[in-house]
Amino acid sequence: MEVTISTAELLTTDGIPLKQSLRKAERRNKLRAFLLVFPLLLFIFVTFVMPIGDMLLRSVDDSQINSVFPNTFDEYKNWDKGVDELPPEEVYKSLFFELANGDKRQIGKALTRMNYAKSGWKSLIKKTTREIKKIVKKGEEPVSYKDTFIKINKFWGDPTYWYSFNQMVNDRSSIYYWNALDRTFNEDGDVVLQDEKRRMYIKTWLRTFKVSVYVTIFCLILGFPVAHLLANLPLRYSNLLMIFVLLPFWTSLLVRTTAWIVMLQQNGVINGILVWLGVINDDGRIQMVYNEAGTLIAMTQILLPFMILPLYSVMRVIPKSHMRAAQNLGAKPATAFLRVYLPQTIPGISAGGLLVFVLAIGYFITPELVGGKDGKLIGSWIAYHLKTTLNWGLCAALGAILLGIMLIFYWLYNKIVGIDNIKLG
Amino acid sequence: MSKFLKAFLFVSLVFAPFTAYAVTVASWGGAYTESQQKAYADTYSDPSSIVFENYNGGLGEVRAQVESGNVTWDLVDVLPSDAITGCDEGLFEDISSEIATLGVPGPDGESIAEDMENNGLEYHSGWDCCVPQIFWTYVVFYDPDAFPGEKPDSMADFFDVEKFPGKRGIHTWSTGIIEKAMIADGVKPNAVPTVLANQTGAIDRAFEVLDKIKDHVVFWSAGSQPLELVKSGEVIMAIAYNGRVGAANLAEGENFEYIWEGQVLDQEYLCLTAGAPNRDAAIDFMMHASTPEAQAEQAKYITYGPMRASGIPIIQNNEPWGPGGVDIMPHMPNTPERLKVSVVSDPQWWSDYGAEIDERYAAWMAN
Repeated sequence: MEVTISTAELLTTDGIPLKQSLRKAERRNKLRAFLLVFPLLLFIFVTFVMPIGDMLLRSVDDSQINSVFPNTFDEYKNWDKGVDELPPEEVYKSLFFELANGDKRQIGKALTRMNYAKSGWKSLIKKTTREIKKIVKKGEEPVSYKDTFIKINKFWGDPTYWYSFNQMVNDRSSIYYWNALDRTFNEDGDVVLQDEKRRMYIKTWLRTFKVSVYVTIFCLILGFPVAHLLANLPLRYSNLLMIFVLLPFWTSLLVRTTAWIVMLQQNGVINGILVWLGVINDDGRIQMVYNEAGTLIAMTQILLPFMILPLYSVMRVIPKSHMRAAQNLGAKPATAFLRVYLPQTIPGISAGGLLVFVLAIGYFITPELVGGKDGKLIGSWIAYHLKTTLNWGLCAALGAILLGIMLIFYWLYNKIVGIDNIKLG
Repeated sequence: MSKFLKAFLFVSLVFAPFTAYAVTVASWGGAYTESQQKAYADTYSDPSSIVFENYNGGLGEVRAQVESGNVTWDLVDVLPSDAITGCDEGLFEDISSEIATLGVPGPDGESIAEDMENNGLEYHSGWDCCVPQIFWTYVVFYDPDAFPGEKPDSMADFFDVEKFPGKRGIHTWSTGIIEKAMIADGVKPNAVPTVLANQTGAIDRAFEVLDKIKDHVVFWSAGSQPLELVKSGEVIMAIAYNGRVGAANLAEGENFEYIWEGQVLDQEYLCLTAGAPNRDAAIDFMMHASTPEAQAEQAKYITYGPMRASGIPIIQNNEPWGPGGVDIMPHMPNTPERLKVSVVSDPQWWSDYGAEIDERYAAWMAN
């Protein structure tokens, strides 16, 4: 008998081809899985992707001011700075009417923006608007708008005010990024260094990195032995010790920071003990707080649990037999540690290091309190511009740079260690 | 799901009446808000309708609330430069006509604005949206026990590290300290705002004076720190908010001395957020909180002075006004004699130049 291989498709009991049926079931599963994670995706989108997108948009957005003074900016572009010392009459005329007829609040917002480009714009525009409204009310038409402006305030004859328009003429602008790096636009629109006396963002960036790197290293040096001890002690002791690690974690940040001030200040506990012991004399009290040392000490202590916990959870599952086996095979304890134990803790070191570094780079309350003259990190300036100057464009640019740097670190980390090599337990 | 929804609706209906009619006031917290609670809310016709919430100053949250249309703060207690910016940007509602018609006049019929002008203040756009609260001040203080011999009594002394060796506690931002440096450089206190506004190079001058104490400074960033610094002997004198020093002297038995010369007075306002959910009730409370009586009442609990000139006589004529039967006028920053040697900070100027000078100050600090 000959075996005939049926070329007909395999059918399910319903008469539907098996392949199709399987695909359908798979699709249904996929859909179910998607629907299950959909709320989470939506949550992430609303609370994470959108704010970051909004931040990135704000960091380049300059449209508000252009919508308030559209004609003035258009006319401004026609000003040949090489030929005329001051902008042409048309610029003054456009500004005259845009100030006279503009919406008070929109102008208010615009002048907050203008003041970032040059200090003094706020009062100048406000005073001028009051005078212009008087002129309009009287029904007078100025012969020369330029002279009218200069008569109202002599600053209108000062080209430096007009030069600052260069930073605002476009709807999209990179000025905030340049500001965040101590740079600005000059009268020709070229990028130049900020006034020397005001330059401090680059220094602050460098200080922020220095502090973050040091804190991460100190946390690792201090946290590693503690985590090792916790992981290898019998449970009832290690639980007790764990409470000591977690207790400060649950204490208010400000309380811990204040406690460090009490400990470290020149008339504080540590200096007192050292003087009493005769290690230092009364005039030689060590300055340990209100400087960078204070920042490093306080931040290390505060961020230490973020290093210890991931390390601990990784170390706990490393079998003790590994070290014994290595030594059995002839490795010295140091070699066994370096070549057998340490490589297995890398995922914990990575997780802890990344956590501490990310947290440290955005820190600002503690450094401000204990850091003295070096206490302002980049986070301080983000908070300052967010709340005090309302310069949200600059805030967003600082935030975006911070984000960019974190992404670079992430990429580097992935290249060197591999992102799969990260473990929280 | 529908059960959950029902529960949610039920809960929100139950709680709605409690949240809907309470006027929420965002203020600085601590002893300051406590004094507002006692002086303004407790004396109000319906004390339970006023709820205070803490914030850390600045207009960031207000702008976020107004821009998103989700306004939860009816009133915000702000510094004058924020009152100006907030009013200009429309974050606060222009209620100048309400203030003019509903504001409680002083004993001689003076309006709120006239009453403030009698106190040496000038109109700024913040007055359109906000009512006055109190004067507070950046004042230098010290522990007299730390000076067995001569005691410092001027700004020149504060910036003279040879005459009075030792560290000084100063804050990490520039308002207040720039003015003090100008006085140490010989500018008459009352003339400082004019000099700052009109002289090119005035700021350079101030920074040159600051350079003199650069190596003898401990920087503080929270209001409680200068008290701690002086108490522990970490510094020999410090700039502080006068209310903190007053509280230490009156309530904690400290014996700090003030250097009133060169104190820098700053204003404090209560402003109506644009789109406030309880607008009318909030305006009613604003009018109550800005009466001369309410402002004088606040001095019972914290040593900040009424911004309405007619509030001062109420205190003077009823001494002892302070807690536990002490005279409070010796601790008030804006007595007529002290005003002669004080700077009244110019909020419009700071609103123009504050950001630039703060950056420069930070560069100077870290250098």
